[in-house]
Amino acid sequence: MEGLSLLYNGFVNSLTMVNLFACFIGALIGTIVGVLPGLGPTATMALMLPFTLSYGPTTGLIMMTGVWYGAMYGGSTTSVLVNIPGEAASVVTCLDGYQMCKKGRAGAALALVAVGSFIAGTLGILGLQFFAPFLGNAALSFGPPEFLCFMILAFVLLSNLSSDSPLKGALMIAFGLFLSSIGINPMDSYPRFTYGSDTLMQGIDFLPIAMGLFGISEILNIALETYVKPEVNKIRLRDLYPSKEEVRRSIAPTLRGSILGFFVGLLPGPCTVISTFVSYSLEKRISKTPEEFGHGAVEGVVAPESANNSAVMGSMIPLLTLGIPFAAPSAIMLAGLRMHNVEPGPMLFANNPEVFWTFIAAMYLGNIMLLILNLPLVGVFGRIAVIRPQVLMPVISLICLVGVYSVRNSFFDVWVMIAAGVVGFFLRKWKYPIAPFIIGVVLGPTTENSLRQTLMTFKGDLSLIMNRRISVTLLALAVAFLAYKFLSPYLGKKFALKVEPDDTL
Amino acid sequence: MEKVARFRLETLFVFLMLILGIVITITSWGYGFGSLRSPGPGLYPVFIGAMISIFTLFILVSTWKSKTSQPVLDKEGAKTLALMTLTCCLWIAAMPLLGYVVVSFLATYAFCKIMKLEGWWKPLAISGGTTLFIYLMFDYWLYVDFPRGILG
Repeated sequence: MEGLSLLYNGFVNSLTMVNLFACFIGALIGTIVGVLPGLGPTATMALMLPFTLSYGPTTGLIMMTGVWYGAMYGGSTTSVLVNIPGEAASVVTCLDGYQMCKKGRAGAALALVAVGSFIAGTLGILGLQFFAPFLGNAALSFGPPEFLCFMILAFVLLSNLSSDSPLKGALMIAFGLFLSSIGINPMDSYPRFTYGSDTLMQGIDFLPIAMGLFGISEILNIALETYVKPEVNKIRLRDLYPSKEEVRRSIAPTLRGSILGFFVGLLPGPCTVISTFVSYSLEKRISKTPEEFGHGAVEGVVAPESANNSAVMGSMIPLLTLGIPFAAPSAIMLAGLRMHNVEPGPMLFANNPEVFWTFIAAMYLGNIMLLILNLPLVGVFGRIAVIRPQVLMPVISLICLVGVYSVRNSFFDVWVMIAAGVVGFFLRKWKYPIAPFIIGVVLGPTTENSLRQTLMTFKGDLSLIMNRRISVTLLALAVAFLAYKFLSPYLGKKFALKVEPDDTL
Repeated sequence: MEKVARFRLETLFVFLMLILGIVITITSWGYGFGSLRSPGPGLYPVFIGAMISIFTLFILVSTWKSKTSQPVLDKEGAKTLALMTLTCCLWIAAMPLLGYVVVSFLATYAFCKIMKLEGWWKPLAISGGTTLFIYLMFDYWLYVDFPRGILG
């Protein structure tokens, strides 16, 4: 009952003009970003951080989450109509979505995807609403050793799931951890790697690095590509009605995709992308007509799209309950909340319960807004996809420059962003995953605190960690995963761990 | 030729990362490692530096062995990349002197031309519109104090 009363309060708080507007703007911009190939949700969320500073933490969180899952909605539009994924999590949708479009069923595909995404989003929010407070309370028993072991597990999974080469992923995490250690160490006020510079004493801010890695590097990437004008298939409102058969075939894949996506969302790494591949493979494997996949099977469209929407909600759990982001967009959210002096984690539910419950309520409203936005305006969003990057990128470049400058009125931050952008450009080309880099930057201070507090608590004797059940379990999971990773090539193809490479994450 | 170029650039990057890892380790040691019982400010970065060194060493070996065929940049791409970066750098350098409006207008125009937007009125319209829109949004809405420069 207490949960319902808190949720009611959340609805009361979220039904303010500011929060509703933030939700709508976030969802709209997210959908547009999802439609436009190139700039992804992470870069957009980083770009929007300065705008959220004028409002409360809840408003900021609502706006950024709106962008994230708005992008998941929008990504499917271009996949189906143009055969170009708007963002990485919609790559799989191209396989059958565009085939449905060629058969004249684009409207039906988009309608089913929109409804499926709505159902998945709602189920995801329900899951978040149920699990997050429960896990948040459980996480209250976490001390520094548990947090340290959890970080180790997260880093092991992140480096292995983000790229084909775990070493590259691990290097990126380590480099991110190093950047976060620049400046005055809060534990003993000792300046590190500052070389006498007053600017470096304050440390390197997270935002310019994120904007550089995800925004500027993407702009540079697009600037170097040759533009080919895509052909957009026109769509009318009456085309949106799916047949009875298509509806019948979509129900179970939508539900399966929603549940699967939610749990994949709990994994570190590009969870939304992984969820689509896993969901697609599952549907193909259990289908009575697997030969239809790749030729316009409706299950191959609705299941991955449902999965990526609920994965967004799943990935909010580690962020909100432990304060540990597992994906690049949630790292941006953590940075945004910290800018508002709100520290997500076990204490969030005790100290700022209104943030969580208003966020939950706003997500329900946002999900409805997205459904209303996406169904009738699908034709408009399809046309947005053909805006030339030569027109769009100069505008985004200037917004990046001014946006980063505006946060601290600092030109140093703009230099950092440009450097991060150029480095990020080459890292993408050489297939180094950049999500672990940014997560390393965000988690650096927490990791150091956990390590030093653990060492001091145990008086340097790390073997005492074995006396703590949760810590041992987390370490055992990390070891088991590594063992599986190294042994899987010897166990045959069936056991091989394969992650689709994705250089945009 | 292209094969060699990519190979060398990535290898150079990894090699520089290796040096960075070693420098971090040595510098951090100087901050005071302390002991496991009483960690000093250098303990954590020593571990980070060591990790970077070890990972890059392995990557260096695998990069050295790999034979890749895709070039990262051709001549035209390198020129575009350099011009885009230079425009961003000039935006920062000229801003305190000339102020937001002039510098941002010129930078956006430059971005349009570097990205090969044809004609002159479209780039002009985009530059003018973007500069004004961002000025109104940041200056009036978010109260960001932009440098005014000598042109006020």
